[in-house]
Amino acid sequence: MDRREVLRLMGAASVFSVLSSDLFAATLRAQLAANEAGTLRTLSAAQNEIVAAMSDIMIPATGTPGAKAAKVNEFIDLILTEWATEEEKKIFLEGLAEADRKTNALFGHGFAAAPAKEQAAIVQVFDEELAASRNEKLSKQVRAWEQTLLFPFFAQMRRLTLVGYYTSPIGQEQELKVEIIPGALHGCVPAEPEVKQ
Amino acid sequence: MRTVKKPETYDAIIIGSGMTGGWAAKELTEKGLKVLVLEAGRPIEPDRDYVEHVPISEMKFRGMADRQETLKDQPIQRTCYACDEWASKFFVNDKENPYTTDPGKPFAWIRGRQVGGKSIMWGRQSYRWSDLDFEANAREGIGADWPIRYADIEPWYNYVEDFAGITGQAEGLSQLPDSHFLPPMEMNCAEIAVKEAMARQFGRERVMTIGRAAILTQTHNGRAACHYCGPCHRGCITRSYFSSVNATLPVAEKTGRLTLRPYSVVHSLIFDAQTRRVSGVRVIDGQSHKTLEFQGRVIFLCASTLESTRILLNSATPEFSSGLANSSGELGKNLMDHIMGGGADGIIPGFLDRVQFGKRPNGIYVPRFRNVSSKEKNFLRGYAYQGAAEREGWERGIRESGFGAGFKNSLRKPGPWKMTFGGFGECLPNPANFVEIDKERVDAWGVPVLKIHCEWRDNEKALLRDMIIQAAEMLATAGAVDIRPFNHNSPPGLTIHEMGTARMGADPKKSVLNAHNQAHDVKNLFLTDGACMASSSCVNPSLTYMALTARACDYAVSQMKKGEL
Repeated sequence: MDRREVLRLMGAASVFSVLSSDLFAATLRAQLAANEAGTLRTLSAAQNEIVAAMSDIMIPATGTPGAKAAKVNEFIDLILTEWATEEEKKIFLEGLAEADRKTNALFGHGFAAAPAKEQAAIVQVFDEELAASRNEKLSKQVRAWEQTLLFPFFAQMRRLTLVGYYTSPIGQEQELKVEIIPGALHGCVPAEPEVKQ
Repeated sequence: MRTVKKPETYDAIIIGSGMTGGWAAKELTEKGLKVLVLEAGRPIEPDRDYVEHVPISEMKFRGMADRQETLKDQPIQRTCYACDEWASKFFVNDKENPYTTDPGKPFAWIRGRQVGGKSIMWGRQSYRWSDLDFEANAREGIGADWPIRYADIEPWYNYVEDFAGITGQAEGLSQLPDSHFLPPMEMNCAEIAVKEAMARQFGRERVMTIGRAAILTQTHNGRAACHYCGPCHRGCITRSYFSSVNATLPVAEKTGRLTLRPYSVVHSLIFDAQTRRVSGVRVIDGQSHKTLEFQGRVIFLCASTLESTRILLNSATPEFSSGLANSSGELGKNLMDHIMGGGADGIIPGFLDRVQFGKRPNGIYVPRFRNVSSKEKNFLRGYAYQGAAEREGWERGIRESGFGAGFKNSLRKPGPWKMTFGGFGECLPNPANFVEIDKERVDAWGVPVLKIHCEWRDNEKALLRDMIIQAAEMLATAGAVDIRPFNHNSPPGLTIHEMGTARMGADPKKSVLNAHNQAHDVKNLFLTDGACMASSSCVNPSLTYMALTARACDYAVSQMKKGEL
């Protein structure tokens, strides 16, 4: 039974109560597994290691998997390849080189090779630099159609890491536990425990 | 649905299969007519085309849209909030569907060419007009007086609401008559607090009510209740919101008297100078680009405000040299759209231990309060607010500082309650806002395109200024903090409430259509979409288009039975 059939059944009768959300998630996961790709098109192997490591420092594995497991690096490679402008891409790739320079200056080796503690220190430096330079343009919500990555490197990295993680199957299903079909509306209910329909 | 191969004669030809075309198809087939619906775009199969449940993780660009493609093919459509990575396929290709504007005066013409038209992606907000609206032109001596009043349309509001299903809360307000409602959707914690604070401050002058929407809150006429997945503009496999595909066209199809022909780009209408009737429709096949003709006893133009007017302008004859049925010279004039993009948001403190469960495809509404009982010095007419309170999710992390496990855990919980009011202001009819045929350009099917001359005028700008200030003041009244007024500088068109250009009126010298949406000059020609509007009110117009269409169909069939048509 594919997703469409599940949903069609739902339209035919009130089968919400018998439709297991596990079944729904399983059909989605099966589809996703078939879509796995994974070859890099813009990032070099070395750049990819920096992106993977830095994204995982920002969103690490906790009780749930982190950015590396969610393949945020592959999403960033896609965005750089098919979405970003040349100018935006240049800023991003220069930022990766800057990450290596910063790490070298402080610790005497590149970012990807650094232990997590050192990587976190470098990310801290980027984060503080961004906070200091944050202006109205950076902080306002960007409307979908205005989408741009014409930001300083770490603003790009922050945006792409968060989007890449929270919109991934891991981010949606494990971290956020998104319910695509809530099946009911309750305007004002306690946050915990979760409401069941 | 069947498609035709060769020209045939029909009792009625309906041009367009969206909001009004779907209603005309239902009404005319149910009344026994053999009907042809011509749709410029492709067929829509809900099982195949609806995408509302596709998770963001399955989208290639994860909701960030295919930027390079849309910049190339949909630079105008992409400015509409609903033209997202899922639903952009329901919006036209701007390269195939060009139009022109004056330098520095953009008009965002948002279009859907497919079976269902824009009724697939519409905002579903459904409000009745009142006599405050229908009498406005006459009272102020602006534009042409409406040839109808609320009493004329009230039974037809009842009729279309009973079929479509409108959720909402009765409030007993004279400026916003109550519909026949299905149960209202619930407000959330912050909205309830704002509503109560407004009631304390403003009494019955400014009322906040739950949005009135063409969405089912219970099973209705065989369609299932909403399951609160959220993004209606991507389709609805349970047919829980009203669209022609979900509701009216299936009923028309069941009569056995409907022929729906997709890929039928109407070039023009064929006028018979002997009979003084439209004898048929000239169509360019959307796929083969071959020219075809279809004959019908009556013609219903339901192609959308600007497409219907474009067809009439392109149907000029020696007698009607400036456009068919245009002896008044009013065709193309008085284009309107609601001015929007002005409002304010603010944080409502508290309720941090409470959430909204379910994605409500509807917001709150503050009916017009300006020039209702008051008399404003700075502007005529008024505006209403749509809005909502929401707790922002992980997206706020993009703007914040911090990283690591603590940061990740903090983003798991929603942010504070943010309340937003966005205004929708009435646009005055103004003959200087008009459309004409651009003789220099044709679309991908060789049909001459429109040149649109439109800009916000002083009254709209004054409404915009006031709606920003009052939104901020209402938030302050409700105890909001971090109040941010906004002005998105939204161009005309982008509200997608474009109206006018073939107005109704009692006087054939000053209007294109009579009180029954029938062309003064051509008796078997009806136009029931937004082009017919003589003024714009400030409420969302689709429900009124539905009611006018059902009313016009009833009139047309009664005239046919009397032998008048």
